[in-house]
Amino acid sequence: VLETVGQAVVNGLLIGGIYALVSIGVTLIFGVVKIVNFAQGEFVMIGMYISFYLATQFGIDPLVSLLVSMPVLFIIGVLVQHFLIRRVLGLNDMPQIFLTFALSLLLMNSGLMLFTANYRTVHTWYSDEALHIGPIYVPVAKLIAFVLAMVLSGLLWVFLHATDLGKAMRAAAQNRGVAVLMGINPNRVFCVALGIALALAGAAGSLLMPFYPAYPMVGQGFVLMAFVAVVLGTLGNVIGALIASLMMGVAESLGIQFVGADSGLIVVFLMLLLTLAFRPSGLGGGRAR
Amino acid sequence: VRGLSKWSVLSLAMLAAVVLALPLVVKSSFAIDIFIRVLLFSFIGVAWNLMGGYAKQLSLGHAAYFGLGAYTSTILQIDFGISPWIGMVAGGVVAMLASLPIGALCFRLRGPYFTIATIATAQVLMLIFLKFRDLAWGAEGTTIPNLGNAPLMMQFDAKAAYYYIALGLLALGLVITYRIERSWLGYYLVAIGEDEDAAEAVGVNAPRIKRNIYLLSAFLTALAGTFYTQYIYFIDPNTAFSFNVSVEAALVSIVGGIGTLWGPVIGTVLLEATSALLQSWLGSSLGGVQLTVYSIILMAVILWRPTGLMGVMTEASQRIIERIARRNVARA
Repeated sequence: VLETVGQAVVNGLLIGGIYALVSIGVTLIFGVVKIVNFAQGEFVMIGMYISFYLATQFGIDPLVSLLVSMPVLFIIGVLVQHFLIRRVLGLNDMPQIFLTFALSLLLMNSGLMLFTANYRTVHTWYSDEALHIGPIYVPVAKLIAFVLAMVLSGLLWVFLHATDLGKAMRAAAQNRGVAVLMGINPNRVFCVALGIALALAGAAGSLLMPFYPAYPMVGQGFVLMAFVAVVLGTLGNVIGALIASLMMGVAESLGIQFVGADSGLIVVFLMLLLTLAFRPSGLGGGRAR
Repeated sequence: VRGLSKWSVLSLAMLAAVVLALPLVVKSSFAIDIFIRVLLFSFIGVAWNLMGGYAKQLSLGHAAYFGLGAYTSTILQIDFGISPWIGMVAGGVVAMLASLPIGALCFRLRGPYFTIATIATAQVLMLIFLKFRDLAWGAEGTTIPNLGNAPLMMQFDAKAAYYYIALGLLALGLVITYRIERSWLGYYLVAIGEDEDAAEAVGVNAPRIKRNIYLLSAFLTALAGTFYTQYIYFIDPNTAFSFNVSVEAALVSIVGGIGTLWGPVIGTVLLEATSALLQSWLGSSLGGVQLTVYSIILMAVILWRPTGLMGVMTEASQRIIERIARRNVARA
């Protein structure tokens, strides 16, 4: 039993690293721009298809195509902020919620038209490799994805704390009014925040590609996971989102191990509802809104 | 019908005559099918709009009640032989009961987190019906036994009968909305929608009002669920709790004009007409086209006309009235 639990925990932590990239993006956008991005999962999907086509058309390894998917999604993020989100800031809930929701529908369904509903996979030389650490089996592709996800999260943390732009972003998140008075250009900061958040989603997509199939609706599971993690980790808190994502990964994996293979989603939804019911302000105890 | 001008009574009567006569004139079953969809989704939109439109509680989980209504009447019919006419009301009551705990949970949250929680509740219900096969046929679902022409069991040979039932449901929804819009409840709802804290500060019991309107909205949505299952003679968790139902309920209201009496109807007419045109143009070959177009329309409305088509029409009619008035002044 201990081995099964250990294996489930390891599996959960490894996939939790990917969830972390998505959740950090959601929490960053919420913290800085005060918008919940319903379309975050669809940007993971775009990242996956970028890696898929680079791999099948040009034989580029998905890990290398990270260098393409991240910049492309950064630019998409800036465009989304500048042409879409900027126009609904300061309006009431309806446009703020349904704009990114419409974007999500649009991307999913145009994905369906462009790529069809077929599952696409990329097979790399490390896709089937695994390390055996004692009784525990660690798939190499997931391990690489996890390590790179942690490196990217670390880099984001350094960026937020050590650079002027990062500090400006945190300032805008804490108090937008004062930040503007201090000479911070909000739209520029928002554009960068969206760019970074989407680049992280794109990275998640590329990192998933060696061991996870791409299909147009693939983002749905990830974005729901991210919503739970973001609430659990206190909205707008990057470290909180990271830790909560790893916890979510483990919880889901234990659920699959002990309740049944198709129960992963039920576990996630129940956790979401329980979190919202009992800890709407997150485990850290900040404010939900 | 006090308070209606002579012109609105006249135009309402004309509209009623046209929609009542429609199945007598149009015989194509494809067209009747589209009309029934329009009436049904208008009705679901009207039910959503009571809570989502007036009180701005933006739910994306109304499929929960659609599905509960559908399953309640079907279980009553197949397992107990009870007529869907009774099952329909029973389904509405089940939906109302379900809306109490769901509301208690979701109304703790505001804005986007309310929306996310409603999505989750509908999905949990769908997963429950998928997973527990003893409850109701599991993932395969079941067909409704065809009894031929059995009006007492809500089964008809003529498609027109379904048309009139859907029309009746929509009329019910519109009358309820009309009455609420002009009552103290309507003003409370709008106050909550504008600014919940301010509404509470002036003495509106927001939690109670939200709970009550959610009960009503859930009840009406469940009626639609029963009707739809009877109409297509089939039920499974994926159609009964389909996320598309939740999305379309919100979408038709927003596109047509959120928080207005006729908004959901106008929105449905536009979206279903677009969808029918796309279907006849492309065939049903290209998956995703319909929702792609819907999402583009939704985005356009949000970015340029958050008041929806109703907003566009009121503005246009006001401009015409102003122009006429100005011309009369100039002539005098």
